[in-house]
Amino acid sequence: MTTSAAIATLTDAFEDPSTDGGATDHALPVAAISWPTVPIEIIRAAGLRPVVIRGDSASTPLADARLEADVFPNRVRQLVEAVLAGRLRRTACVVLPRTSDPDYKAFLYLRELVRRDAATLRAPILLFDLLQSDGPDVRAYDAARTRDLFATLASLVQRSASADDVRDAIARANTARASMRRLLALRRGAPRVAGAEVLPLIGAFWRLAPDDYAALAGEAADMLDRRPPLEGPRVMLAGAPVDGPQLHAAIESHGAIVVAEPGPWGSEAAGEDIVSGDDPFAAIADRYRRQAIGPRTPLATVRQRMQPLMNDVDAVVVVTPPDDTAFGWDYPCLRAWLEALHLPHLCLFGDPSVPPGPEAHERIAALVAAARERTGTRHG
Amino acid sequence: MADKQLEATHAAAAFQKTWFNDLRRRVFEERQPYALVQADVPFELFDLLDVPAVSNQWWAALIAARRQAPPYLDAMRADGLHEGLCRYCSLGYASTRYRGVQEPPWGGLPTPRLLCARLTCDCIQRVFTLWAVALGVELFEIDHPGASDLPVRWWELGRHEWRSLVEPHRLAFVVATLERLVERLEVISGRRLDRDALRRRLELVNLQEEIFDEVRALIARAPEAPVRMTEQITNVMATQWVRGSDWAIAHARALRDEVQHRVDAGVAACPGERARLMWVGAGLWHDTGFYTEFEESHRAVFVWSMYLAFGPDGYIRYGLDDPMAALASRTASFNEYLHNPPWAAEWIVEQAREHRIDGALVLRPRSMKPAATGRLFIERALEEAGIPVLPIEADVVDARAWDPVAARTAVRTFLDSRVIA
Repeated sequence: MTTSAAIATLTDAFEDPSTDGGATDHALPVAAISWPTVPIEIIRAAGLRPVVIRGDSASTPLADARLEADVFPNRVRQLVEAVLAGRLRRTACVVLPRTSDPDYKAFLYLRELVRRDAATLRAPILLFDLLQSDGPDVRAYDAARTRDLFATLASLVQRSASADDVRDAIARANTARASMRRLLALRRGAPRVAGAEVLPLIGAFWRLAPDDYAALAGEAADMLDRRPPLEGPRVMLAGAPVDGPQLHAAIESHGAIVVAEPGPWGSEAAGEDIVSGDDPFAAIADRYRRQAIGPRTPLATVRQRMQPLMNDVDAVVVVTPPDDTAFGWDYPCLRAWLEALHLPHLCLFGDPSVPPGPEAHERIAALVAAARERTGTRHG
Repeated sequence: MADKQLEATHAAAAFQKTWFNDLRRRVFEERQPYALVQADVPFELFDLLDVPAVSNQWWAALIAARRQAPPYLDAMRADGLHEGLCRYCSLGYASTRYRGVQEPPWGGLPTPRLLCARLTCDCIQRVFTLWAVALGVELFEIDHPGASDLPVRWWELGRHEWRSLVEPHRLAFVVATLERLVERLEVISGRRLDRDALRRRLELVNLQEEIFDEVRALIARAPEAPVRMTEQITNVMATQWVRGSDWAIAHARALRDEVQHRVDAGVAACPGERARLMWVGAGLWHDTGFYTEFEESHRAVFVWSMYLAFGPDGYIRYGLDDPMAALASRTASFNEYLHNPPWAAEWIVEQAREHRIDGALVLRPRSMKPAATGRLFIERALEEAGIPVLPIEADVVDARAWDPVAARTAVRTFLDSRVIA
């Protein structure tokens, strides 16, 4: 495979989960997942292939009739639409995590829609009850829930899987993460790849078999590393995590480069490796609890993770989707940081899965101009 | 707001003001610790350990009812907090963060020793963390595990089969969390929790809710509703905040006796009643006069809200050999039953039938997004049960975008076209 083919394969896997990707896991039954805080190591060790649903600009008329407006993120509407339209009929299960209220409510909704025969899904709808607070009882609870998810999934596909299978899945995912870190490194300092191009390469991690991903991401990183550095102000996305490159493309159309964004689809995707230890379930649960940036992540953790990213950028775009109930609370603090760093910023309201409109483009252009002026002043 | 029809309502309102003034005196003069808490935490533990608890939602409702919310809400907006963020659970925080914008009701909240919140909606952890920082006090979080077993007719299990209502792992988690809360409260108060006293308190809570059950039945069965919904709420909530106390039991009995007397004497809240309405959702605290507005024009009276009905169905737990587990079983799912499928729609339809409801007004909350969930299931279930529904878009504490005239016109049209026609 040529390196450009590696990029194309990763991008295809990101954009269309029905593509074969690396094909080593093509025959496995599919677990549809609403957000990547459901551990892929558990899904794979149990013998399934994860397909994490993302936001999209496609309309969702069936879901819109069942879900209240401005409460559920685009990705959840897409998942419910897929269920109601019968597109997940061949899916082995649907798994939603407790890491956001909309995911939990969508779990309740889907179960109710099936109970009322409004949806024809035969596959079980499961809740992965991962808690994220700091209480001393939380770690043991999360470990037990992770163990329980593994047993449920293995039983579902009638596979005799063990803790060793989980350890193996951890090792493979860690290898894939190592390749992903090479891609992420290309965004630091003078970036060599645009955000809109690299986000799919990062995000394919959640959809491809880890071995395939490790090889493809490594090849892609080799090629991208040979590119010259990109010119333009470096922009970071803050606020709610995004799961697609639409906003990146809009910002980069004005000459800036998006180099960081919170959340599991972007610069936070690799995070730390998982160290199996004696209890691989506890290790997975602990890692996902600590690493997941989402609306239920403790505020102090979000701040700890965001602050270092701001030291290497020229401007910040604060993403505020219509369903935001959590990230907006941190805006006054974020604004104070940005003002202290003399970083220009912009709050963008709207669905980040849909390309922004003309007014947003005007504001982005003004931000990029301000960032350019700042970098010009700073550099000379 | 319309005149109060019940003596009990006057007594409840007076008690709340006296209770709050006494709290301020004890905090300021005697340096007694108190806690600011979410409405769904187990107040019984605080009371038994002599750490009085003030409900965040009660405080927000008080600010809104006194029409003092807008300056705080404007200050939030000016500070960059977008309009989609929940205003109900954060109005108290705003009254701390933007304390300079006006004089707060009743002299304001003294600084608590502890904040305590169940992490239900995603915003709670953020709001309470920021509030704790603003006040310089600690926050105790009760995390909220999600339910996977979803018994539809939950209210039939809660009293006697509460162990089957909550999965064992969730129950164990909440018990462990409440035990840690007790440890924390014991440190603050310097007292030990008497487990027998907890059992006795829960027995008294059961007694109080049984009395409320009688009140609910009286209202449901009387030829014409004897008590306005707004007065039900005033009486019930003043009692629930101190549930199981001597005053609460005595007040519940006084309320029941007064309602019984009105039923026996044929006294109606709205004589000549033509339409019985239910309100689904949190109260419209900034415009409670809305609820009595249609009595004269249409003889339409609000009969039902969740506040009275949830007492007996949500709180009673029989079989108190392990009182902490019983308390945890109530805490574990608490307000989910009021909003989300499969629980809310089934219960509300059943309540509508019991109360002979002719029409339902369902709140579409503007900023309380998590509380907005389940609404479409409820609206659909009510309509399928033959009960016309009028959605009311509003924020329960934010009157700035509320058009009282347009809302009243919409209700009159609804009554004329779908309820009384």
